[in-house]
Amino acid sequence: MSAPLILQGVTAGYHGKAIVHDVSLEVPAGGALTVIGPNGSGKSTLLKSVVGLVSLMAGSMRLGEREIDRLDAPARTRLGLAYVPQERNVFPNLSVADNLRLGWETLHGRGGALSRAQGRARESARRDEVLALFPEIADRLATPAGLLSGGQRQMAAMASALMQGPSLLVLDEPSAGLSPRNASLLFDRIADIRATGITLLMIEQNVQLGLRVADHGVVLVNGEVRLRASADHLLHHADLPALFFGHAPALSS
Amino acid sequence: MIDTLQILFNGVVSGLLVALPALALALTFSVLRFANFAIGAMLTAGAYAIYAFNAGLGWPLLPSALAGIVLGGGVAMLVDRLVYRPLRERSPVTLLVASMGVAFVLENLVRFVAGNAPVGYAVDPARPLRFAGLRVNHEQLLIVGIGIASLALVWIVFRFTALGRAMRAVADNAPLAAARGIVANRVIGATWFIAGALATTAGMLIGLDSTLDPQMGWNYVIQVFAAAILGGISHPMAAVAGALVLGVSAELSTLVIAPHYRPLVAFAVLTVLLLIRPWGIFGTARLAK
Repeated sequence: MSAPLILQGVTAGYHGKAIVHDVSLEVPAGGALTVIGPNGSGKSTLLKSVVGLVSLMAGSMRLGEREIDRLDAPARTRLGLAYVPQERNVFPNLSVADNLRLGWETLHGRGGALSRAQGRARESARRDEVLALFPEIADRLATPAGLLSGGQRQMAAMASALMQGPSLLVLDEPSAGLSPRNASLLFDRIADIRATGITLLMIEQNVQLGLRVADHGVVLVNGEVRLRASADHLLHHADLPALFFGHAPALSS
Repeated sequence: MIDTLQILFNGVVSGLLVALPALALALTFSVLRFANFAIGAMLTAGAYAIYAFNAGLGWPLLPSALAGIVLGGGVAMLVDRLVYRPLRERSPVTLLVASMGVAFVLENLVRFVAGNAPVGYAVDPARPLRFAGLRVNHEQLLIVGIGIASLALVWIVFRFTALGRAMRAVADNAPLAAARGIVANRVIGATWFIAGALATTAGMLIGLDSTLDPQMGWNYVIQVFAAAILGGISHPMAAVAGALVLGVSAELSTLVIAPHYRPLVAFAVLTVLLLIRPWGIFGTARLAK
């Protein structure tokens, strides 16, 4: 289950001040796109506008067949979008089990055609699938999510987003605050998630890791797209420091 | 010995009276992050709503209570829709001031309709019971029974239902709750309904214990705030513990000071807490950025 995401001429920001300008990008169904760029380039703002937490000033967005730019965040989740923020990405006072359950029940709970027992059975089947991807948190289910280690918390956050059964997963800097070993482990899991066919849009500071799991990359500088290229090209051929810090851009793609 | 037991029992009873509105205050605070100063007026309005069904329409107390509780919850939701929702993105201070306005309107509405003079529910007076030397009147039994039942009900909803999880999720991290598909306004509406129902129940119990007057809720505001802060205002069930500690210590204080100084205990507790542990006994320090 996956859906393409198409952004056209997106301008977004806070309090009437645009942070990202005229960004167009496309993630095909089942594809993966990583947005990279220096600090303060507007990557998080772009992502939040996709999720519905920052309102659009211009442009349009489509997820699958639907225009989503006028919908609020809860309505977008119902169309299959799941989001993992960089910080504050779990409910710290709720147990890991409750965090996972919230991912499920808001969208699938009280399911019209399903009886209560059928709903429970499907929830626990989904939970088993998700925990198979993140076995590290399987024995921490009763722990308040706020007490998990950084790596486990990131996994719990991703697991509860996956409980929504998304067609598009939006990740904001999954490696932030993790040790290199944990970050690498987490990206292996992201590759596993990709393999299930979910469309992936992420931003990532760690260029190597972020591009490893993507097909395409976009370089965002000062809120504008500097370069759009295959992940392979960006990893091996592009002069990223020059792009990031504003020297003459290498425009080959 | 029996005197001390009697004092402890009376303390638990008066603590339970404060526990319901303190829980209501802490619930709305944890979800909405502002201190609802109208909690006293909600209590008054609820008590009078039940009075309207009971004395006005001549219904027995139980159906009057149920109708009043639904009405009290509904009024709280309506106030949220009309007053607090348009101010949702404003600062907590703005909302606090708005809640003072709500208190003013509710209290004077009661005064306008029902008058200033104290009134009472139509219930038959009954002789106090005695259990092993402990003097217990019927109102106290009702307070203990209904108080504990309401608290247990709210605890079950908060802890074990989808609504409770959604309330805790919005309280914990509102933007993430939205990204998980939780419609905040629906959860907030339900929170206000529960708060209004709790305040109404407390209003009825206080009315049964003494009388109803338009000031009755206002007289409880300091104690309610002291109890909620004592527990740690963002931890709803801890507010109940705070209320019981406050009730028992206020009663115990009568051993050493004159009974009419009892309200001082709430002020003293509030003052000391704000000086040494403003985040409450069970709360954790929260730094404003």
